[in-house]
Amino acid sequence: MSIGENSCSTCKQATEEELLAQLDDVLAGYAEVPGALIPVLQITQAMFGYLPETALRKISAKLKKPYSEVAGVVGFYSFFNTVPRGRHVVRVCLGTACYVRGGKAVLAALKTALRVEVGETTADRMFSLDVGRCFGACGLAPVIMIDDDVHQRVRPSRVVQILDQYRRETKAVGQGDGK
Amino acid sequence: MSGRLASLEELAALRERLRNEQEAAQSAGRTPIRICMGASCIASGAAAVKRSLEKELAAAGLESRVALKDVGCLGPCSGGPVAVVGNVFYEHLQPEHCAEIVRSHLAKGQIVERLAHRRPDGRIVSRMEDMEFFRRQTKIVLGRCGRIDPQNIDDTLVEGGYRAMADVLRANDPEAVLREMKVSGLRGRGGAGFPTWRKWSFARNAPGGQKFVVCNADEGDPGAFMDRSIIEGDPHAVIEGMAIAAFTIGASQGYVYIRAEYPLAVERLKVALAQARQRGLLGKNILGAGFDFELEIRMGAGAFVCGEETALLTSIEGNRGEPRPRPPFPALSGLWGKPTLLNNVETYANVPSILLRGGQWYASHGAGKSKGTKVFALAGTIKNSGLVEVPIGMPLGDLIYDIGGGTSSAKEFKAAQIGGPSGGCIPKQHLNVPLDYESLSELGAIMGSGGLIVMDEDSCMVDVARFFLEFVQEESCGKCVPCRVGTKRMLEILNRICEGQGQESDVEHLIDLGEMIKETSLCGLGQTAPNPVLSTIRHFGHEYIEHIRDKHCRAGVCPSLVYAPCSSACPAGVDIPGYVSLVSEKRYAEGLRLHREKNPFPAICSRVCFHTCEDKCRRSTVDESVSIRGIKRFMVDQEVTIQLPEVRDSLENARRKIAIVGAGPAGLSCAYFLARLGYQPLVYESEPRPGGMLVQAIPSYRLPREIVAREVRMVENMGVEILTEAALGRDFTLKSLRGKGVEAVFLAVGAPLGVGLGIPGENAEGIIDALGFLRTYNLRGSAKVGKNVVVIGGGNSAIDAARTAVRLGAESVTVVYRRSREVMPAYKEEIEEALHEGVKLQLLTAPVDVVAEGGRVAAIRCRPMRLGEFDGSGRRRPEESGDVFTLPADQILVAIGQALSTQGFCDDIGLETNRSGFLQADPVTGQTSQKWIFAGGDAVSGPASVVEAVAAGERAAVGIDRYLTGGEHAFWRETKEVDTFFDPEKDPIDAPREHLPLIPVERRCNNFDEVEQPWRESVAVRQAQRCLRCDYGRRPGGNGD
Repeated sequence: MSIGENSCSTCKQATEEELLAQLDDVLAGYAEVPGALIPVLQITQAMFGYLPETALRKISAKLKKPYSEVAGVVGFYSFFNTVPRGRHVVRVCLGTACYVRGGKAVLAALKTALRVEVGETTADRMFSLDVGRCFGACGLAPVIMIDDDVHQRVRPSRVVQILDQYRRETKAVGQGDGK
Repeated sequence: MSGRLASLEELAALRERLRNEQEAAQSAGRTPIRICMGASCIASGAAAVKRSLEKELAAAGLESRVALKDVGCLGPCSGGPVAVVGNVFYEHLQPEHCAEIVRSHLAKGQIVERLAHRRPDGRIVSRMEDMEFFRRQTKIVLGRCGRIDPQNIDDTLVEGGYRAMADVLRANDPEAVLREMKVSGLRGRGGAGFPTWRKWSFARNAPGGQKFVVCNADEGDPGAFMDRSIIEGDPHAVIEGMAIAAFTIGASQGYVYIRAEYPLAVERLKVALAQARQRGLLGKNILGAGFDFELEIRMGAGAFVCGEETALLTSIEGNRGEPRPRPPFPALSGLWGKPTLLNNVETYANVPSILLRGGQWYASHGAGKSKGTKVFALAGTIKNSGLVEVPIGMPLGDLIYDIGGGTSSAKEFKAAQIGGPSGGCIPKQHLNVPLDYESLSELGAIMGSGGLIVMDEDSCMVDVARFFLEFVQEESCGKCVPCRVGTKRMLEILNRICEGQGQESDVEHLIDLGEMIKETSLCGLGQTAPNPVLSTIRHFGHEYIEHIRDKHCRAGVCPSLVYAPCSSACPAGVDIPGYVSLVSEKRYAEGLRLHREKNPFPAICSRVCFHTCEDKCRRSTVDESVSIRGIKRFMVDQEVTIQLPEVRDSLENARRKIAIVGAGPAGLSCAYFLARLGYQPLVYESEPRPGGMLVQAIPSYRLPREIVAREVRMVENMGVEILTEAALGRDFTLKSLRGKGVEAVFLAVGAPLGVGLGIPGENAEGIIDALGFLRTYNLRGSAKVGKNVVVIGGGNSAIDAARTAVRLGAESVTVVYRRSREVMPAYKEEIEEALHEGVKLQLLTAPVDVVAEGGRVAAIRCRPMRLGEFDGSGRRRPEESGDVFTLPADQILVAIGQALSTQGFCDDIGLETNRSGFLQADPVTGQTSQKWIFAGGDAVSGPASVVEAVAAGERAAVGIDRYLTGGEHAFWRETKEVDTFFDPEKDPIDAPREHLPLIPVERRCNNFDEVEQPWRESVAVRQAQRCLRCDYGRRPGGNGD
């Protein structure tokens, strides 16, 4: 996971064109390496934060592998994303206690609030939505996790408030860094 | 760090120099401090602890007096962050603790006791090697892990790193390496256990110039972290092992395929590789011996199947990680079609030690065909979770209890899942199984890579199977049909079972599918994917049946089957959140009515119930469980006149003749529910008073007799006639009942016979059965009691007899039990109160023989016991230990078991019994092998609790009704509406659990006054408000969502 996270600062600074140019340098170094495709994809994802089609086309051309093969490899490994992941990952617990205490209603509220389905990322790349199994906080169900924070006894009506907290923090951090 | 080592001699010289330096530091009196920087200690905040320690050391000016070192995993991860100062093991360290350690331990030499490791009995263990966790371990693979700084190659060199490689290069005899490996008996530690030397020898003899060695570090099993910890803690052991392997088979290039999910291990391995290259221990012409070896890291990308060897190789080649058929095996045709040796991390890490100390030495560890040691990752509900290494063949129970400290939840151990998604579950009956390849596979599990997940009673085994199947289903690469489609079909069936939609044929179907997938899948993933399902069916088949037939999940896990965990746990299925919430609104009469829908005896149960409901209460994850029994006690104490429950009169039913034999809780409960359907059963009771064990065995200081009488009267008021002093076999027989036109009989005769001691002298006068003693006192009002009373046994009857003897004026009462207190079957509260009242416990003691004088008992000779192997009940079997001693006694009460004698009452009918001599009855209807005879309670289950007897009576009532009418009329089984207020948006009230007040000990002697007293109303209401209302939204009408 660290590769994806490290990339965030770079992807802000460099435009996609600049990154594609950097990718050329990477590919030059790997042209003769046997089995280079997966390491190259890992580096590319670290640079872009995900694997855009333009980059995959370039990799396919430079490594002289059919695009179908590249796409096949990308599709096979769960580590590779062809859509960008959000800055914050929201996970809704659907373990027994949470399920019983309305985890599904919370999930529905999150889908409405974020306008995404499970596994998707919001248009502003702020949040990705996932579901999970028991986080071990059943007494205060239902529970959601945002990044590493556990939010207990979440009510559907308060979901928006919780999300806003992260939006504000992200902005504040951005300004603090002078970006 | 200086430069490249050009020869074997230079390595030896460097090692010598580093060793001298280290000795110099030691003689300068520097206190070594090792701080664990394993991934889990880092996650618990080890880095901040280290910064704080450095700051405090600097502030105190003590930096030059310590040697502070970052090390890999020390083992007890649940204690993290951990550090070893000198030889003292500190755990749960926080940054603010460091100042104290510096001021006290380092400056003054005083151990900071509150932070040091303690034994379960509270004593401080000042030396790390005395800790129970370490004492039984044998660290070979982990020999350096936790002792060296993994990021500093010199530290490894001092501790013998690369010496085995140097020896191998000097000897220049690959065949000798193979011979030594063969002698060692090392087998693949990735799980399958293939002899390592044979794999090496295949690769060595394979034709071809270019060969590869590959290390499988794609450790993907849930709960496994052995390989990660080895790489994080001692990466050079793996590198050295691979280099030796490369030399042996003639390879010059190697790859480590490691999960991307292990960033720290990747980082440490990168550093280690760079340092090894710099030292000339990797690369061209290593140590001038003419051997070239280069090693590269390849990271996985989140595909579990890549842990399978052919898929892993395909992935290194840059393709979709799909497996390919074997043969050809990788040793002949692996990476890019070249001969490739593939072993797992732990296997390689064993190699240097084997070659340094000899195959013979290695083979002296372990047992049978499984030599050496194995690293296990202990996880789940276990006290000391973490990383351990033990000789192969150690019994599972020793690993879990002696090293792991038992379950962390105080709940009973249920099963150990071993081998991840390819493995299986081992139940408590098999705690003695030696952890070796063959024994585990006999039980349907596998050694696997070493992940061991401990589960307690709160795990549902069907759900566990579903979890693993969901995992493999998601991770199936999709190349072959059995794995792709077959696991999907199995998962669908399991989902159905967990949702309460299971069908009778499902279990068989799962077995068929599972066997087929095992036989026909292409790779190891598919071939082992059904194992978690097959092994749980094998060992926990009853849980599958409960899910399918009874729609019951005993662990309270499966959402569709669990209304509220407390109600699910109650054998009688009482609507607990319903009556608790009614108490919180002071609506006691309604609460009682709701209780009596499922259990007619709230007043009795409020005194004697063993409350499994509280064990499952979800509030316990917040603070402590709701005091359900206490709330019930208050509720029943508010009842002035017992209201009768809903009765559906039926003239037709009233005409049917039904006999119930035994007026204990099972018989009376059956009568109650039959009466609610309009039947008017006749109850036969052999004793002068109805109530069974409630009045014969349970002493009145626990259960006042008027309480029993009231609830019995309620049953009588419903049209049930009770005939006392009418004994089956003496006054009537089953045949005679049949002759009188009785259409159905419910046998609830209990298990009234005491089991004898079976030791010499047991016929002496003064030795009596404890149940008989209780019965005599409880029914007649007086019983002879001795001065020095010895009670033998550890169950409730033993404790009841002991406390009764105290009240009758015995001078000393000693309970002799052959096991330890933790596993005494008597209720914990009862044991506690017995001790308060002066009863002595003589634990781990077994009677040998009775000393009689003039035919009367004078003493009993006993032998001390110690706990040995685990028996079929998952408890340690007591074994003789030490010399016989004598306990003076003039009365001995025997309470070591109860039995049922079917002689005299069903000889004429011929009822089937089970192996323990109890009656065989259908678990759903109570029907016996004779269609018109039903049975339940202790006569079927053996000695059990009141509420279980109530449940059995209810089931039999429904069974009898169905037998007589062919229909289902149990109207009380529907969940009722309860309109109590509940605001799901509010936080639960912050009130601690309260216990019922007890009368003081000095007021208990010489009388049988009730010991437990009720709360005040304000307390009871507040306690009821603690309920989290798990029923919210799951009831018809009322508080719907």
